[in-house]
Amino acid sequence: MTPRSTLNRSLLALVGLVLLGGGLLILFAGLDLYRRHDLVPPAGWPLTTPDDVLLGSADRVRWSSRGWWWWPAVIAALALTALLALWWLLDQLSRRRPGSLPVGGTSLQGGVELRDRALGDAIAAEAGALPTVEHAAVRVTGRPAHHRTRVRLTLTPEGTPGATLGALCEGPLRTARRSTGLADMPTEVRLQVARHKPHRVE
Amino acid sequence: MTPDPGPPGRSPASPAHRGAVPLTKEPDPRERDVFTADLPPGEPDRGHRTHRKWSTRRIAAALVATAILVAAVAALVDVIAVRAGRPAAAWRRHLADELATRPVDDVWMLTGAAVAAAVGVWLIVLALTPGQRRWLPLRSPADCPRLRAFLARDGAADLLRDAAMRVPGVGAAHVRVGRHRIKARADVRFRDPRRVKDDLTAVLDEERDRLALARPPRIVVRVRQRTD
Repeated sequence: MTPRSTLNRSLLALVGLVLLGGGLLILFAGLDLYRRHDLVPPAGWPLTTPDDVLLGSADRVRWSSRGWWWWPAVIAALALTALLALWWLLDQLSRRRPGSLPVGGTSLQGGVELRDRALGDAIAAEAGALPTVEHAAVRVTGRPAHHRTRVRLTLTPEGTPGATLGALCEGPLRTARRSTGLADMPTEVRLQVARHKPHRVE
Repeated sequence: MTPDPGPPGRSPASPAHRGAVPLTKEPDPRERDVFTADLPPGEPDRGHRTHRKWSTRRIAAALVATAILVAAVAALVDVIAVRAGRPAAAWRRHLADELATRPVDDVWMLTGAAVAAAVGVWLIVLALTPGQRRWLPLRSPADCPRLRAFLARDGAADLLRDAAMRVPGVGAAHVRVGRHRIKARADVRFRDPRRVKDDLTAVLDEERDRLALARPPRIVVRVRQRTD
């Protein structure tokens, strides 16, 4: 799993747990499940009987009569929440791209560089020329040190995924490895088949 | 690196072996499959199996982030406005009144709580499951160790359906590819349905092996006689 996937899944689970917990708290009190099943909620439990309200008048008084620091603290907490949510949202929208890749074992400073788009286009052009490939699109994503190549192929109805994969590995990907000197190219290939009507092949 | 962008040799001589389907001989997948051929048992695959891909869950994350952002910004704006001496916004007074007057056994409170709990369960499920159900992992060729490959399920279904349509006697075929099972339904127009079913099973087995799936699903074939 990528770090972004781990982050997203952790935060989704956290939000899910909060929603589930809050919902269950209200449902338990609202349906009076504590009394019906002879459960004794611990002392200080927020909602216990069906007559409780979420925002009691005691709560309102308590919250609005704190010291001078209360409202600045609330504003700071809300601003922090909004900023973190914005950062999380923008992290989903951006796709990291390496920009330039070092070629031929040279370092990034003063060496020969290859634009990620050029590498992707070159692989796509060669992959698109394979006999059973109708369309090929290649993107290089990630950081320069940890870049990965994402290949999307649309096969013609005559194509066979196994054979096409072998041809892709022997042809375009080997060319790319040889010509860039990047021995270690993590590659992700997604194969689709061009939609077509059922037909008989005579 | 400038690969020759000459005219793509678009399958005029597309693989000849696709035309003739051996119906008489039981096809031996090990003969044709380049990846699993002559493997001694117990030895790891020469081509390695791709594990299922775990989705990044970008869309769910973006939606939840947007909801939190909107709520936090709205509350922030209103709190600051109230600190600056303006009256609180109508939605905030309304919300506070509702929360202060409706007991928790009110139908709206119960509905809202049930919805929140359901959304919570859904988010937890999203966080814990791999997703990417549309993509079937494939076996990678042995020469490309860092290659991970996936095939779209509907594409696999189309290829299998085309293979089924090549069986003599099949008038119409419908294939659904699940992650553990492939279901094929076929209408038989002529020939003995049992023979057609045997042929179909053989042909679909062979075509499935050409797909190079990491975990080949079982194939279930159902035939129906249609003479009209």
